[in-house]
Amino acid sequence: MAANNAPLSVRGLTKKYPAFELRDVSFDLVPGAITGFIGRNGAGKTTTLNSLLGFIRPDGGEVKFGGLDMKTSAEEIKQKIGFVSAGMTYYTGKKLKTITGVTRLFYPNWDERAYQNYMRQFGLDESKTPASLSNGMKIKYALALALSHGAELMLLDEPTSGLDPMSREELIEIFLSLRDAGKTILFSTHITSDLDKCADRILFLQKGRLTADLPLEAFRKAYLLAEISGGLPENVKALSKGVCRVRDGYTALLPAADAEKAGLPCRAATLDEIMVHLDKEDAAQ
Amino acid sequence: MKLLKKEFRLCLHPTAPLFLALSTMILIPNYPYAVSFFYVTLGVFFICLTGRENHDAAFTAALPVSRKQMVHGRVMLVCCLEIADLLAAALMLWVKGLIGYAPNQAGMDANVALLGEGLIVFGLFNLIFFPRWYQDITKVGVPFLLASAAVFVYVVAAMVATYAVPFVRDCLDTQDPAHMTEKLLFVACALAFYLCATWLCAALSVKRFERVDLQL
Repeated sequence: MAANNAPLSVRGLTKKYPAFELRDVSFDLVPGAITGFIGRNGAGKTTTLNSLLGFIRPDGGEVKFGGLDMKTSAEEIKQKIGFVSAGMTYYTGKKLKTITGVTRLFYPNWDERAYQNYMRQFGLDESKTPASLSNGMKIKYALALALSHGAELMLLDEPTSGLDPMSREELIEIFLSLRDAGKTILFSTHITSDLDKCADRILFLQKGRLTADLPLEAFRKAYLLAEISGGLPENVKALSKGVCRVRDGYTALLPAADAEKAGLPCRAATLDEIMVHLDKEDAAQ
Repeated sequence: MKLLKKEFRLCLHPTAPLFLALSTMILIPNYPYAVSFFYVTLGVFFICLTGRENHDAAFTAALPVSRKQMVHGRVMLVCCLEIADLLAAALMLWVKGLIGYAPNQAGMDANVALLGEGLIVFGLFNLIFFPRWYQDITKVGVPFLLASAAVFVYVVAAMVATYAVPFVRDCLDTQDPAHMTEKLLFVACALAFYLCATWLCAALSVKRFERVDLQL
């Protein structure tokens, strides 16, 4: 598929704040895949998502959804995408039935049968209010709304934040079943263990810059982790892409190609370890 | 119309329709009746305040609508409340007529010209409140304070005018149906002001809201 027809194509996205800058962010989403959008708190994930949706006005760059430009076709685009944010609770005192009743007015392709199915599948009761739902149930309700208007692309902003492990596991299974149904998902999170279980690709954002855009396995295989007891050898320090202090010594993230030069036993690194070490390195620079 | 339905079903604060009942203040003897219109603007303040707490802008911005439509939806809701309040005030004027006329010592009498004052109050409020609020929808207090200050200055000026301005004292501040032509002309001018002010408020609000980053 040509990049221009990707479910989401971003080119040179920039946004400047007094204390933070989103710098030249560019990527394409692969259709039918789950893309994990990772980075520490404050790296710019939410700013990027909000820019994509036009909630905030970028200073520069181009955002296209399926070849349609967000600047000129926002309404058409929003018919085809679903946005779910864990931090948002809308109209806490209104019944879900009322919120749904309003939402469906805006979508000519609203599928009531699908909506009822999702509500049943997610165990949601329409007579409840968002205030009476747990965080996990709120996310599920937002997903039910998005999926019932036929969204092909789901933009999820920290959907598993603040959830217990069971609820997170349950949501991940839902995301995987959506992927199996051909939906494309962009999933922003700093809980990378969730992405270990479901992501196909990784976008890694550091201080407003996109520093990796790779398949998950390639991203993982690019690094190895050395666990060092005692002091940190100088050659390891020089080769490493980030060092963390642990109880009995250090862990150093090494580029897989350079791991042998370190002369230390290494193991595969988890996504979490890669992110933490790379971020340490970035902070040190 | 879809956004207007959304505004009524999700954003209308319960006090806003309740405040319409305060048009019964027109039945109070010797009271500045124009103040009764202020309560509608207080209802608008509560709508915007609870909208902020309920993340109304984030919900609406995610729907397939433009920011221009978002502004128009909110302004239409407010216009509906204002028109409903003027109709309620007209009903109270009729009731007061049945009870018996008594001149008002605290401003405009309970007559047709009072509806003109209501239109000016609402036009003034809309023109100041909305363009300022749409600069930053997280800050409701300052726009409301500024708009309310303008409304109170007008209400006081209108009250003084019933003693100091001959046309107001001798024609507008009189028992109906005396000087009905002048009163209807005043209402027509006030209606023109209301329509122009509200149109300008919507245009300015759209222009400002298009530029802002939504602080979600």
